[in-house]
Amino acid sequence: MDGNDRNPDDVKKVPEAFDHEEHVEIWDLLGDIPGEPPNSAAMRSRFDAALADEVAANSTRFRREVRRPWQQVAPWALAAAAIAVLAIGIVIGRATTQAPRVDPSLAELRQELRETRQMVALSLLQQQSASQRLKGVSWTGQIEMPGSEIVSALLDALTHDANVNVRLASIDALRRFADQQNVRVAAVDALTRQDSPLVQVALIDFMVEINEREAVPELRRLSQDTMVNQTVRDRARWSLQQIG
Amino acid sequence: MLAVRDGDLSQLGPLFERYHVPIFDYLCRMTGNRAVAEDLVQDVFMRVLKYRSTFRDEGRFETWLFRIARNARADYFRGRSGVEQVSDDGVDVPSSEMSVARRLERDRDVARLQRALLLLRDDRRELIVLARYREMTHEQIGNLLGIEPGAVKVRLHRAVKDLRDIFLQLSERPSWTVTTGIRTT
Repeated sequence: MDGNDRNPDDVKKVPEAFDHEEHVEIWDLLGDIPGEPPNSAAMRSRFDAALADEVAANSTRFRREVRRPWQQVAPWALAAAAIAVLAIGIVIGRATTQAPRVDPSLAELRQELRETRQMVALSLLQQQSASQRLKGVSWTGQIEMPGSEIVSALLDALTHDANVNVRLASIDALRRFADQQNVRVAAVDALTRQDSPLVQVALIDFMVEINEREAVPELRRLSQDTMVNQTVRDRARWSLQQIG
Repeated sequence: MLAVRDGDLSQLGPLFERYHVPIFDYLCRMTGNRAVAEDLVQDVFMRVLKYRSTFRDEGRFETWLFRIARNARADYFRGRSGVEQVSDDGVDVPSSEMSVARRLERDRDVARLQRALLLLRDDRRELIVLARYREMTHEQIGNLLGIEPGAVKVRLHRAVKDLRDIFLQLSERPSWTVTTGIRTT
């Protein structure tokens, strides 16, 4: 139907079904009515723009749906709250240093601090502004033992963020989670999708650092694809020698 | 399409690249208006995005896509006239080995047949477009329209007969012997 899976005999069968010569000849003359060639380039750009709008609208809608009450608070307020909790923690920490045993409330405060930082990071990662999202990636580095929500948010940034700097920062932030299988799989997957040479090179370096053998087929493809940026191809070729 | 259905929207671009030409051709021949056909192609692929979760693996993607195209066209023309009229001089027929006189004659016949096609009943025109230009088998058309292949064969036969009748009504000459050899009965 689309020109690739057509059987040429199918077309010829149709006239054979007609019992009058006149019908066969009408069928033949129909073949002389030319088709109009579409303006493919204009149609594709229009489609890409519509698709981008639709995806952005869906994404905003999705974010609005999953936003929790604390996510509606301004990031600066959350940051201030985090600092306040940190200060309280320090004061209590000093007060309790003399005590021979660990105060359970200290562990509780640490936990609260960690959760607050996590909230701030997640909130920043969902901002419209790329610089805010970059701050969000940076905040994840300050969290001790971050939860799976943070890892998911970073993987989401690596795969879907429109800004190259955010994607690059997310690769750096994900290095500390390289022992997690889902992170390694997602990084290999991202390598197949990224079209920014900067991000591709950063991901290739990441693959070498973690010695990810699953990435070898994609690295081989990148090294051989003449459509790929020359620097990326060279880097991919180098990485194949590094990954044992 | 399965990847698109499962959330990988980056695969929608390759689908557009592969299928926008046949969908445009179908819509252009059905509407007789390339601007409308271009708008409808956009509509079709946005519907693919919107209704991607309804695609079932067991069905042929092309059939599903053409079903969407049919619905998009039907929605567009609901309450409007179905097709645009074309003039006799609007057709550009590829040149051939024929003499100039015969070629001009043939061009006029082709233009007249194109007008006849647009004057044909909508459902019959669709059968001809799908079979002749989209090169679908009776079975594929049957799947698309929800009818048996045998019924497709019968209706297609009737559609070509009706087309020929309209063509002859549009003809100024009593016979058609010079260019095609078809004679009026």
